[in-house]
Amino acid sequence: MIERISNMFATVTDQAHGSVWLVLLIGFCFGAIILYSRLDKFEKMAGFMIFEDTLVPRMAMTTVALSSLGFYFLVDAGYASYTIKPTILGGLIIGGILFGIGLVILGKCPSAFFVSVSEGRIDAFVGVLGGMVGGAVFTIAYPWIEKIIGPDLGKIRLSDFFGGYDLAIVLTLSTVLLVTAYLLPTINYVDPADEKSK
Amino acid sequence: MPKSIPWWVGGIAMSLLFYLSFSVWGADRPIGASTGMSYIANMLFGLEPENYKYAEIIKESGAWEAVMLIGVFFGGLFMSVFVTKTFHISYIPTLWKERKNKSVKSRMIWSFIAGFLLVFGARLAGGCNSGHILSGGSQVAVSGIIFAVVALGTGIITGRFFYKKKGCKV
Repeated sequence: MIERISNMFATVTDQAHGSVWLVLLIGFCFGAIILYSRLDKFEKMAGFMIFEDTLVPRMAMTTVALSSLGFYFLVDAGYASYTIKPTILGGLIIGGILFGIGLVILGKCPSAFFVSVSEGRIDAFVGVLGGMVGGAVFTIAYPWIEKIIGPDLGKIRLSDFFGGYDLAIVLTLSTVLLVTAYLLPTINYVDPADEKSK
Repeated sequence: MPKSIPWWVGGIAMSLLFYLSFSVWGADRPIGASTGMSYIANMLFGLEPENYKYAEIIKESGAWEAVMLIGVFFGGLFMSVFVTKTFHISYIPTLWKERKNKSVKSRMIWSFIAGFLLVFGARLAGGCNSGHILSGGSQVAVSGIIFAVVALGTGIITGRFFYKKKGCKV
């Protein structure tokens, strides 16, 4: 086990994706932002899907709008490159359905439940355990799963689909998202449990 | 210090972090989490890359995300203990009590099932909220957009049937 863990850090060091410290720092900030914006709370994530709270869509839309613009110019200037996940249609749809069901029941996504555990939420910890079993089952079943998740449409972006107009697509997307985020009403579910623990 | 930040501050902070991670000055790759979950699961259950094809596939990106997740845990812990001071042991979220039930056992069983579905589903689709919706959406990837529509649509439909209507007595 200890060997596996040191192996993990060594693998990160050998990759050209930042030092272990940088990766830890990125994670630290990611977790801190998730907690500070309360994105990890059941009331925010599940609450958004049953229309009790609008923090998640507004924050996610702002993030995607600003990041897509920034990413475009970073790539354009040669300071970054796109890392696109392949569009494997069967896997995306079946996986998306299972994920959606899990998301509304657990009320946290696969990084937010770590944040929830760090806040002392036992139900989130049980969710992580379930996730561990899910991950292990997937690895074991992969040889069979591999055959049914196609067809693979490749690593495509919206601009590949439309045959160009990258900047126009990015500008349209981010404008639409920012305006929607701004126009969405503020619905804030106030959790009495948070008020007590002051 | 305020107890939470508004959505737009969170959104701006998140995208600044994404720029750092995405650019060559940072990690030169987008943020993702569920491959890391899978990597940790394989580590715990002793599924070695030599014997399992999938463990071999995610050997590198999984290690990166697993290390990031360690950071995520401590980032959350730091904020909940020192800044928001919301750290406390809890079993059932308030909204669950209001819209589902007050049984700890029921919440735990559903949490386990939901956790399973989350990671299994994310692996099937090749990513989760962070990898597909946030990072994928920011790169205007077709896969991210399809995933967002399917996952959120299913979530909203499931939510209608799974939870009680607002104001219903428990």
